[in-house]
Parts: sequence; structure tokens; C-alpha cells
Amino acid sequence: MTQLLPDRDTVEPGTELAVDIVGLTKAFGGLRAVDDVTIRVPRGRIHGILGPNGAGKTTVLNMVSGFIQADAGRIEVFGADVTRMQPFRIARQGVGRTYQNIRLFPGLTVLETVVAGAYMQRSSTIAGAILFSPGERRERREMRERATELLDKVGVRAGSSALAETLSYGDQRRVEIARALATNPRVLLLDEPTAGMNDAESEEVGRLLLDLRDLGLTLILIEHNMRLVEEFCESVSVMNSGALLAEGAPTWCLEQDDVKEAYFGKRSDAARIATLRRARRGESGT
Amino acid sequence: MSTTAWLTTLQFAGVNALFALAIYASLWTGVLSLAPIFFGAVSAFTFGYLAGVTGLSPVLCLIIGVALGAGLGAVTAGLLVRLESHYLAMATIAMVLIGRVVILNLPEYTGGATGTLVPGDLGTWAWLIGTLVVAGYVMSRLAGSRFGLAADAVREDPAVAQTLAISPRRIQFVGFMLSGALGGAAGVFQASFLQYIGPDTFYTHLGFVSLAAVVLGGAFYWLGPIVGAVVFTILPELLREPMGEYDRVVTGVLLVLIIIYMPRGLVDVRRLRLLKARWWRSRASSPSDDGPEPTDVAGPARAEAAS
Ligand SMILES: Nc1ncnc2c1ncn2[C@@H]1O[C@H](COP(=O)(O)OP(=O)(O)OP(=O)(O)O)[C@@H](O)[C@H]1O
Ligand SMILES: [Mg+2]
Repeated sequence: MTQLLPDRDTVEPGTELAVDIVGLTKAFGGLRAVDDVTIRVPRGRIHGILGPNGAGKTTVLNMVSGFIQADAGRIEVFGADVTRMQPFRIARQGVGRTYQNIRLFPGLTVLETVVAGAYMQRSSTIAGAILFSPGERRERREMRERATELLDKVGVRAGSSALAETLSYGDQRRVEIARALATNPRVLLLDEPTAGMNDAESEEVGRLLLDLRDLGLTLILIEHNMRLVEEFCESVSVMNSGALLAEGAPTWCLEQDDVKEAYFGKRSDAARIATLRRARRGESGT
Repeated sequence: MSTTAWLTTLQFAGVNALFALAIYASLWTGVLSLAPIFFGAVSAFTFGYLAGVTGLSPVLCLIIGVALGAGLGAVTAGLLVRLESHYLAMATIAMVLIGRVVILNLPEYTGGATGTLVPGDLGTWAWLIGTLVVAGYVMSRLAGSRFGLAADAVREDPAVAQTLAISPRRIQFVGFMLSGALGGAAGVFQASFLQYIGPDTFYTHLGFVSLAAVVLGGAFYWLGPIVGAVVFTILPELLREPMGEYDRVVTGVLLVLIIIYMPRGLVDVRRLRLLKARWWRSRASSPSDDGPEPTDVAGPARAEAAS
């Protein structure tokens, strides 16, 4: 059952919704991976999706980006119904994403990877490329410059001529973010963007999220790092076994008993871990 | 081997390079297709018919062959691109098989089982090399272009490419057209050098030789198919004298060895980039600091840095 924040609605009336997921359902065989999930994210929000392993978080993102078709429910992006759209058309609606298990293109350099993401930002033709047209060459130059800026922005440390697949996991995740940003998205979906990063690196990603939000992007991220969620997410949806468990402000959601139980099993354990977590938060605050 | 025999071998290497490039063009977009052999057959027999019956100039026939190939590529893509990869490959092999049946059953246009004679005006080095240079130039320009990077993305991961707003079908459609144009040109040249074409000229053997050239030479960079075609055509000739009848066995074994140890072919930009990165890393680290890298390439570089 869904618990709603009693005193404050997550979406104030009148705000434009960037992503509106209603009654989303997906079953794999007999398994209801996503079961009647509703998530509404207003424009300019950093929204987290939480939940233990196998909760169905990635499946929700996969349906938003069109990787898999929903069995039931509806997904709108800025008012456009994308539920049955092909993934590349959804991307053209301004939805970019990254992957839980990094999916870079083997053989491409960091720079090429990001420039590949700028496909729709370019207007050059095959004839232009073959005929060595000045416009096409200028575009190539501009794309390289823009990609370099994006790589700088997301904080990739490795050189842009390195093979993307040879970078550290942290850099690979950042290259994925830069590649998604190159599509000039309005909504960015991030599947565990800080997995494999240390605290300092995670913190940097968090600050990047704020920057992107300030540039007008709407961000939806799946994240296991609770400290990051509490620090940077304005609202969260907690899932368990395909169903929505709670939604609202992150701190409030994480205090809910059934959220704790879903995460940590027995309630007594949950209480202990929550205490630990609070202790750590206090520590980092000083 | 006599000089003329060598020249003939090299000429067929050049034509095979065009066919291999045609196969590469669709492989670049993630589609394994032998359709270029079919495109080549259509353009060659059209060439034979036009040059023989209407007396059209061979150069014009080459242009028509290229355009016809590109058009056929577009039609083929329109019909087949929706198929899953394996079925798509099978369908293009079927096209080659059907092509032969069509040739046999249209004797008034193709000469049927006896085949047909074609003028050899274009069967010269100048035309062949000129066309190869143009084809290589086009492919190299496309390599870093908007289309080229999109093709790389579609080949490596079509699902991810889609989230970058790239339509794989559209890219594959373009790849098929490119493949058709190259296959069309290759067909006209094959005909020009042989001066005779029959139902078996553009058949599975040519298809597999061209495909082997792509695999051997490298299916990830446009230079690969050209190098592969040259090596794969010359090698059996070189081996024929010392090996006698075993040359095919040796060629086969070499092919298998290359597939095992150089899975991305002889021309492998990715490997070069990895080696380059290793070289830089070994230069960056101090001489006493022995990294985990193998020293085959890093070795000399390190010695240089130390001196
Ligand atoms: N393509 C698929 N086919 C079959 N089952 C799937 C598929 N994708 C996901 N599942 C199943 O659906 C359930 C939800 O998976 P999902 O990947 O969405 O979980 P998650 O919340 O992202 O978990 P994690 O934190 O481990 O990434 C899991 O039980 C998973 O095994
Ligand atoms: Mg997941």
C-alpha cells in the first residue's frame, strides 16, 4: 500500500509535470516486476527511486525509455504520451539515460562516444561529409568542442582520446552521463550513477545533479546511497517487489516502518541500521 | 608465378576489395549481408545487356550500375531490415541463390546458362585503382561523420543507440544503399575484367571470399576489408607453389588462427588505441615502476624514456 506524505503533497497543483507515470505494470512470466506504479515528477525536480534489489526500479526506467513495453499504465513526458513509442522517438522527446551495468560502445574513444550522443544536435548530411563541405567540417569541430565541455562538466579525468571502455568505473559512468547530456535531454534518467564510486566521487555526482537541475533538467535517479539521496533528492518513490511502498520527502520516506522493513528485513535490524545511518550523517555534518 | 598471372591476381584482389567494402558498409551498421553479391550480379548483367544491345558506353554503365545498386540496396533494406539479425543474413544469402535462378531463367537478357560477353574497357588498372581510391575516400570521410558515429553506435549496441535518438533502421537503410552502390560498382568491374559473366560468376563462392576478406582484414574500419581482400587473394597464390594442393588448407588454417588471435581482424583500430594508451601509461610511469602491463610494446618505449 502506498503511504502518502500526510501534510504535504509531492506535486503542487499547477506545476508542469516532466514525467507522469500512472498505473505502470509489467510482468515477466508470473513475476510482477512492476505493479501499478504511479510516479509524477514535476519539471526541475531531482527525484529518487529507491528500493531493495529486484524491486523493479530498473524496469520502470526501462519502460520510460522504451526498452520494454508496459503491460498496462501510461507514461507521459511533458504531456506527450510515450507509452508505446519506439525508444529513439522517446529520446527525441528529450529523455536521456544511463545504465546500471555500464553500456559504452567498445572501440570508441571518450570523445567519439560523447559526439555520437549529439546525433540529433547535428544537421550535416552524408553528401556534406563526402564533399568535404565547410559546414560539415565546422560542425565536426563544434561537436568536438561541445563534447569536451560536457566531459569537463561531468568531471571525466581521463583524456578524451582514450578508449572509453578502458577508463575507471567512475569515469565510465561520467562518460555515460556526458553521452546522455549530449542528446540535450529535458529529462535525465540515471540508474545507480554512483555505483562503484567512493564518497568523494559520489558527492561530486550529487553536485553535478544540482548543476543540471539548475540548468532546467529534470532528473530521476535510482540510488542506493542513502546519504546522497537525502542530500540531493527533493522527493523519492520507494518500491518493493514491484509495488510502490511510499513516496514523498526522502527523510520522511526512510523513516517509514515498511520501508525500513523492505530494506533491512526485520524491523529490529531496521531500527539498528537507521541509528547507524543517523550517526554517520551526524558525523559527516561536522 | 608469371607477371601476367600476378597482375590478374592483383586485379581480382582489387575487385574483391570493392565487394568486401560493400559487405563492410552494411556490417558497419550491424547487419551481416551478402546482398552485395546480388547487387553486383544485377549491375553486371545490366551492364552486359546495355553495352551489348544498346551500345551504351561502359562509363555510363558504371554510373548506372552504382545507381542501380544503391536503389536495390534501398529496396532490400525496405523489405528486410525489420528481420532479426540471423534471419536477415539468411535472407541476403537467399537473394544470392535466387539471383542465379533468375539469371538462368532470363536467357534473352542474361544469356542464361551460357552467360554473356561484356566489353572490357573498364578492366584497366586506372579505372580499378581510381574507383578504389574514391570508395576509400568516401568511407574515410564517413568514418567520423554524423552517420559514421551513429553507425558505430548501432553496430555496437542498437538499444543504447536508440536512447541517443538514433533510429537503427534508418542507419541500416543508409548502410544498405552504400553497400548497394559499392556492390554495383564491384559487379561492373568484375564483368569488365572477366569480359564474360555467367550464372556462377556472382555466386556463393564470391560471397564467402568477400566475407572472409572482411573478417580477416577487419570489420571495424574501412581499411580492413581492402587489406583483407588483397591478403586473402594473394595468399593462396603465394602458397600454391610451395604448398601445392595444400594451399587451401593453409589458407583455411591461417583464417582460423587470425579469427582466434585477432578477432577484430588485421586492421584493428581498437587494438592500436589500446597499445597507444599502454605506451603513454608506460611513458608516464617512472622507469623503476614496473606496471602490470606486458612489455612487448611498452618495453622499447620505456627504455627510450629511461635513456
Ligand atoms: N528482461 C527481464 N526478463 C525477465 N525478468 C526480468 C527482466 N528484467 C527484470 N526482471 C526481473 O524483474 C525484477 C525487477 O528487476 P529490476 O532490474 O527492475 O530490479 P531493480 O529494482 O533495478 O534491482 P537492482 O537494485 O538489483 O538493480 C527482478 O526480479 C528481475 O529478475
Ligand atoms: Mg536495477
